[in-house]
Formats: sequence, C-alpha cells, structure tokens
Amino acid sequence: MTEQTVNLKPSRPWSAQVLGALLLRTTARLGLAWIAVLVLVAAFAPFLANSHPLLLVVDGETRFPAFAHLQAADYTWLAGLVLAVVAWRLRGPVFLRFAGWFAAVAVVGGLAWMTVSPPSLVIYEQYRELEAAGRVDSIVRAPIPYSAKDYLRDYGDTGIEAPLAGRDGRTHWFGTEDSGADVAARMIEATRIALGIGFIATGIALVIGTIIGGLMGYFAGVVDIIGMRLVEIFEAIPTLFLLLTFVAFFGRSIWMMMIIIGITSWSGYARYVRAEFLRLREQDFVQAAIASGLPLQSILFRHMLPNGVAPLLVAASFGVASAILAETTLSFLGLGLVDDPSWGQLLNQAVQSSTFNWWLAVFPGGAIFLTVFAYNLVGEALRDAVDPHTQRRGKRA
Amino acid sequence: MSQLLEIRDLVTELSDGEHWMRAVDGVSLDIHRGETFCLVGESGSGKSVTALSVMGLLPYARHRHPAGEVRLYDAAQAGMPLLGADDAVLSGVRGGRIGMIFQEPMTSLNPVMTIAEQLDEVLQLHRPELEAEARSERIRAVLEEVRIPDAASRMREYPHRLSGGQRQRVMMALALICAPARLIADEPTTALDVTVQAEILRLMRELQQRRGMGMLFITHDFGVVAKIADTVGVMRRGKLVECGPVAEVLRRPQHEYTQSLIAALPERLARLARGEARPQPLVEVRDLAVHFPVRRGLLRRVVDHFRAVDGVSLDVHPGEVLALVGESGCGKTTLGRALLRLIEPTAGTIALQGQDITHLSSNDMRPLRRRMQVVFQDPGSSLNPRLPIATTLIEPMRVHGIGAHDDERRARAAALLERVEMPPDSLWRYPHEFSGGQRQRLAIARALVLEPRFILCDEITSALDVSVQAGILKLLRRLVDEEGLGMLFITHNMGVVEYLSDRMAVMHAGKLVETGRTAEVLADPQHEYTRKLLAAVPRLDAMAA
Repeated sequence: MTEQTVNLKPSRPWSAQVLGALLLRTTARLGLAWIAVLVLVAAFAPFLANSHPLLLVVDGETRFPAFAHLQAADYTWLAGLVLAVVAWRLRGPVFLRFAGWFAAVAVVGGLAWMTVSPPSLVIYEQYRELEAAGRVDSIVRAPIPYSAKDYLRDYGDTGIEAPLAGRDGRTHWFGTEDSGADVAARMIEATRIALGIGFIATGIALVIGTIIGGLMGYFAGVVDIIGMRLVEIFEAIPTLFLLLTFVAFFGRSIWMMMIIIGITSWSGYARYVRAEFLRLREQDFVQAAIASGLPLQSILFRHMLPNGVAPLLVAASFGVASAILAETTLSFLGLGLVDDPSWGQLLNQAVQSSTFNWWLAVFPGGAIFLTVFAYNLVGEALRDAVDPHTQRRGKRA
Repeated sequence: MSQLLEIRDLVTELSDGEHWMRAVDGVSLDIHRGETFCLVGESGSGKSVTALSVMGLLPYARHRHPAGEVRLYDAAQAGMPLLGADDAVLSGVRGGRIGMIFQEPMTSLNPVMTIAEQLDEVLQLHRPELEAEARSERIRAVLEEVRIPDAASRMREYPHRLSGGQRQRVMMALALICAPARLIADEPTTALDVTVQAEILRLMRELQQRRGMGMLFITHDFGVVAKIADTVGVMRRGKLVECGPVAEVLRRPQHEYTQSLIAALPERLARLARGEARPQPLVEVRDLAVHFPVRRGLLRRVVDHFRAVDGVSLDVHPGEVLALVGESGCGKTTLGRALLRLIEPTAGTIALQGQDITHLSSNDMRPLRRRMQVVFQDPGSSLNPRLPIATTLIEPMRVHGIGAHDDERRARAAALLERVEMPPDSLWRYPHEFSGGQRQRLAIARALVLEPRFILCDEITSALDVSVQAGILKLLRRLVDEEGLGMLFITHNMGVVEYLSDRMAVMHAGKLVETGRTAEVLADPQHEYTRKLLAAVPRLDAMAA
C-alpha cells in the first residue's frame, strides 16, 4: 500500500457501514420487514382492532369513542413510534440518538400515566346495542371491530368458534378463543407484549452485562475473578424455574417477567464484553488513549465499547428471540398474564379443550415462529455484516 | 538445460467480488539451475501474487490470467504448462517439484501435529513408494540438513516448542524433503530477528548451492537482496521495471524507480547538521526493572520472575533522539511502556523534567501525560477505527484544556495535519480510509496535539515500505530539530538508527549492554553482542563483488 494509491471514498461512520452491509442481505431485509410490521401493528393496535368505533354519530352527536378510550400505554406506543422516526431523521451519533429517544419515550410515558384517564368502566356492548336500537346515524369501525378483551357477552354463551364460523353476522377471521374473544384482536394486542418483553428484557441484560463485563475486562485481575464467579452463579440459575417461583409467590406481572428474564440472561453478554475488552485493552489506540491522559469513562465508553459492540449486537438479536420464547413458554404453561393476551396463552388454549382447535395453534404459533425466526435471521445477517472475514453479500466464491 | 521455470508475460487479475484489479501485469522471468532470482518491491507491487500464480494457490474463482504462461522444465517433461493446469497435476508439482516457504513461521505450521507428522504427510503424498522406516530416516536427514539441533528427538515435538528461527528451518525442511529442483521463498526472513535472519540466509544459500536448486526469492529488503541474489527483478504496480544481475542493478540502477527506492534506504538518506543536545536531561531513568511473575501449580504460587527489564538506566535530552536497539523479546517495548507508566515498574525511578513520576497515582499522572506521548508500531491498530480523525485529535486537547473552544481546537488540529504532511480534509475521515504510512502520520499528529516534550516511538516504521519510511523519518527528525523534543526511538533497523539517532543504546535480555553516540557505536562496537548484531545486518554496501 503506497501512499499515492489510496482510494479516498466519502466517509461513512461504522454504524452506517454495518447497516448498509446488513440491508444488502435478503434474509436481513425479510427479518427486519417482519419486525417493522409487528412494530406498526403494536403501535396502531387500538386502530386495528377495537370494539370502540373510531367515529360514531349518535342522535346527531359526533363522538370518537376509540380515541376517548385510548390508554396511557397506547399513547406511549404511538409516541415511541413517532419519536423513533424523528430520531432516525436527526443527525448525530447513533448512541446519543438512541438515548434521546429512550428518554423522550420515558417522559411521554410518564406524562401519559399521570394525565390520561380513560373511562374506567368499559362497556363494549353499548355500540352494538345502540346500533341495534337504530340510533346510530353513522359509524366507522376498526378493520377488526372487536377489542382483545371484548368477550361478546351480548351474544350470549359464545365460547370457542372456528374462523368465519361466527353466527349473528359476526366475522372472526382467526376464530374466537375459550371465553369468546376475537383471536385476531388478541394477537394484535399481544404483539406489544412480544416486542416489549424482547426489547426490555434484553435491554436490562445488555446494560448489566456491558457494565460488569466491561469492568472485568478492563481491570482484569481480582475484579475479573470476582466478576466471573458472579457470572457463573447467575448462569447456574434456571430462568424458567425462577420465573415459576416468582409467579407462585408474587403473582403475575409482565414487568416482573421482563426483569427476571433480564437479570438472568446478562451473563452471556458480560462474557462477550469481557473478552472484547481484554483484547482491546492491549490495542495500541487504547494504550495511546491512556497515555494521552484521557479519563476512564472516555477510555471505556468512547474508545473501547464501540469497538467491542459487534458481538454484543449479534448476541442481543438472538437474546430478543429467546426472551420472547421464555414469555411464550410461561404463558403456554398457564402461568403468564391473567387477562392480558399473549401468543403463548392462545397457543395453550389450542390443546386445552377436548378438541384440537387448529386456528389457536396455527395463527399464534405462526406468529411466534415468524418473530423468533425474524430475529434469528437479523442476528445471523448482523454476524456476517460486522465480520470483516465474511464476504459481501454472503456469497462465497 | 539449465532452465527450470519460465514465466512469460504473466498477467494476473484479482477480484474483490465486483471489480477486477490487475495485480501482475506482464511479468517475464526465468529461473535457472543453481541461481537465485530475487523479486524485490514495495507492498502491493505484486511479488507475492506472482509466486502464488506459479503455484496455483490464488483463491478459486477470484483470480484469472488473461494472458501469459508459466512453464516447468525438467528431465521428464520440457515445458509443462502450470497456468490453468488441473488440481491433480498441480498437487504433484507443489511440494514435489516446487517447494515453497512462507513468511510467517508462527502460523505456517499446524500446531496440533508434530514436526515429523507434518513432514511425513508431504512424503506420503509425493513418494508413496517409500516404507515408513525409509521415510522416517529421510525426515531425520532433512532436519539435520536444515541444522535443527538434535534432530532425532526434535522430530516428535510440536511447533510451539520451537523458536521462530527453528520453525522457519522446519518450513525449509518441509519445502526440501521431496528434493524439488525449484524453491519459492516468500519473504522467509522478514518476521525474524537480524541475527536469526543472517543464519537462515546463509543456510538457504548453502543448501541451494549444494542441491543446485533454482530459487525465486521474494523480499522487500535490499540488504537481503545484496546477500542472496544472483539476478534481481524490481517490481512496481505489477510490472517488472528493472531486471538484471544483482551487482549491476544495485550499483548502477537504470530505472528511476529503482534509483528512488535505493535512495530512500535510511542509510542513504542525507543527514542534516545537528546542534548539540542541551545538558539538562528531559527523562532520566535509573535502574528501572520490570519483572513479570511466573505462576505455577494449583495455588498459582509465584515461583519465579521473568525479568523483562532488568536494571536499565538511560537519559533522553531535549532535541535528541536516543535509539533503543535490540532483538525481539529483549524487553525494549516493555521498557518503553514502563517509562510512560503504562506498565507498573517493579523497581527503579523515572524522572520527567526533574520530577519523579515512578509512584504517582493515575490521577496525579493524568496532567503530566501531556508532556510524554507515544506512537506505536502497528498502523492497523494505532487509531480508534470507530472515531473520525477530528475526534481523535480534539478529545485529548479538550481533556487537557488546550484551546478555548472546539473551533479553535479544530483549527489547531488542521494546522497539525499540515505539519505531518496530511491533507486537512483528513479530519473528517475514518482511519480505514488511510494507508499504513498515512495512519502513522496521523498517529504522530495525535501524539503532537498535546505539545509533548518527550515522544516514545515504538518501531513506528517497521511495518512500512522504505519510501514511506523515508518520509516519516525525515518528518520525525525535523520535529525533533525544530521543536527541541526528546525522543526515544525503539527499533531493530540499523539503517534507521544510523539516519535518525544521536545516541543509541543496545539492549539484550533486559539489560543495556552498550550506550553511546551512534556514529561511535556503529564504527567501533565495544560489546560482543553489539558486534554480533551489527555483523548480522544485511547491508547493500557490504555486497560481495
């Protein structure tokens, strides 16, 4: 390499290079497209499946019941999506933008929990009764006109129904489940749990793993020995049994599940970060940073972490998939959330009654499969994209 | 007939998946019996690709030969074509009729097979008629021939038990065991120390003459060329620009590229007049020792200490370059790092401008780090690949309070880039967009940004081509002369020492064996080790007539 023959390409930061290399791969595009669909469905869930009409004109009076019944969580999801688009368009370091997005979502979420107060008594049947009474002048309904927790009590004892087998002029594309709620509506609502548990549990694990692993790798010696023992202790805890125990003692809470999955799965990330930091510590540019008298946080987070983040990203995308599976497993065992919908819980109902209800197996099972598959595809493609040794486009000559 | 291998108008193109790039562009050469043909050139000039083309070792479907031919001549077949020959033919040629030695002795041997097994594998392939007994006898003989001491017992050892020089000897044994008439050696001594290199070169010369082999020897070092070559070819950008008998080419180079390459050798660079060094030392090191504990057994008890640096005393004055010379493993890098307090010294004192810094805590050390900076060896890892150059340069200034605001710092960084002869738009680029030499310039800029008084340079030019190295050496000398910096320059290259340094210190096994003014030490070495080291250095001027 002589000095004259250098090819000066326009500068692109590493994150843009990785993203570019990632998007070159068809598998990654498919996986990301499916995840994007899930995110959109989760954010716009109340407008996709809702018993409350979007627009209702009763006795000449115009009402927007769907909007009036929006929960704080609905606002948070919508704000998260809008802010994500804003953060995407902004310039600046990826990490700062992500942190900004996270902080903004937290603020909006907090505000929403404090200010939004939808009617506490929710009567899904009222609109169908109004319609039956002929008092409705005009009505605009969501594509699936049933809420996840609308058990169709006004139709009497409905119970489990196969797809498109509904009586009384009802159309349930994916059928209904045990207590009569629309399966499609419940699945749409459940995307939030699937996405939320994946991201938050993995996020908790990443934060803990990065800090502990980083300290172990940078300081080595005694810190490393103690840290590794801690890692081994946490690796010895079986996540599922811990979850079962906590569910038995403290009841069912999605937040508790996220935290438990998070604090039992950080050890893998800690190992990755430790190994990377042990390697990076000896690199010349890190030694040069120390020799320049830079403060410790700059050495750790500006000079070492960005160079060691590649295996972490790959592990995290597989981690999201396994967190989703853990929650699904728990719900399938009947130990998930009580009233809130989840894919695992629907799957469970497929085998609970005496007959095999195929629609309760195929649709939620398919959603779980596709989601876990999508994350694995992204993880696989990410591994190729960050690895300089695999050839571009994954094609081997 | 004396001709063994003929390369005619060889063209090799390599692909990165999208574009075809011409790596070898019309090279013609002949290898004759008992003759060494040296291909010399800078990195990327296509010397290795030429060798790999001959052997058919280029990556499958990533290379093509639009023109040219390679023919092998021997008793059985005159002019057997090698380019595009199928794998069955080629695997008979590789190892059997053409031996090959690679550059990196540490990775060219399989670590999970013993030496005898690796040699035996080659024999089984090319001489299937031999009995196990005969093969084993032959392995022992060839190991003795490459002067592996105690060959019979060394046969059963794994490669990690051998030193770099011994591994390279095993590599030679591997190449020679089937008695090929042609040998291709791709920079076989580049990774070795000079004294080991001298022994290996002598051995290769001797074996070649005894067996009457034709050898294609690839190197970038004109000193090595002078020592081993009969005919030399100079390559540049895939073309053979000059070719002829070694004495002719080295003494009276015809092509201007050859002339510029030889002129860029550090020992040929014009020296500037130098002022006397000022008396007050900048850095004083007294009896510095760095010991690494050797731990054994279940309880990891410290059974012994490895004395990497063992009682070293030296001074560096402002406006002076002190060269620290020694072979790999002698502790020179450890000494440098301990001096900067990147490694904790075991004993001794380090004083910077009269202030003892040996036991300062890392917090107290931080403001002082401004005054002593470092440039490392490997251009590939000396800059943070995830940060643009601007951030790399501005951050230390911000931490040390140089410049009032970022605009001022950026202007200072741009001015500094100009000083190290880099375009100012480098500020917004990332390290991967620069070549090795440019990265080393940027690393020098990073060190200079804090206006240090003392700079440690750890083998900063050893990974670079001579012409690039010449530019960097000139830059360093100018910085020292103009700004009165003190510099400790760690190197193993005597030519660099000769050009750059005012004084030199020779290090061997953790100790300084000789210190003195460079010209005096080079002219009249006192210590036996220094004499041995200097004698081993391959020199252009020392070429036999």
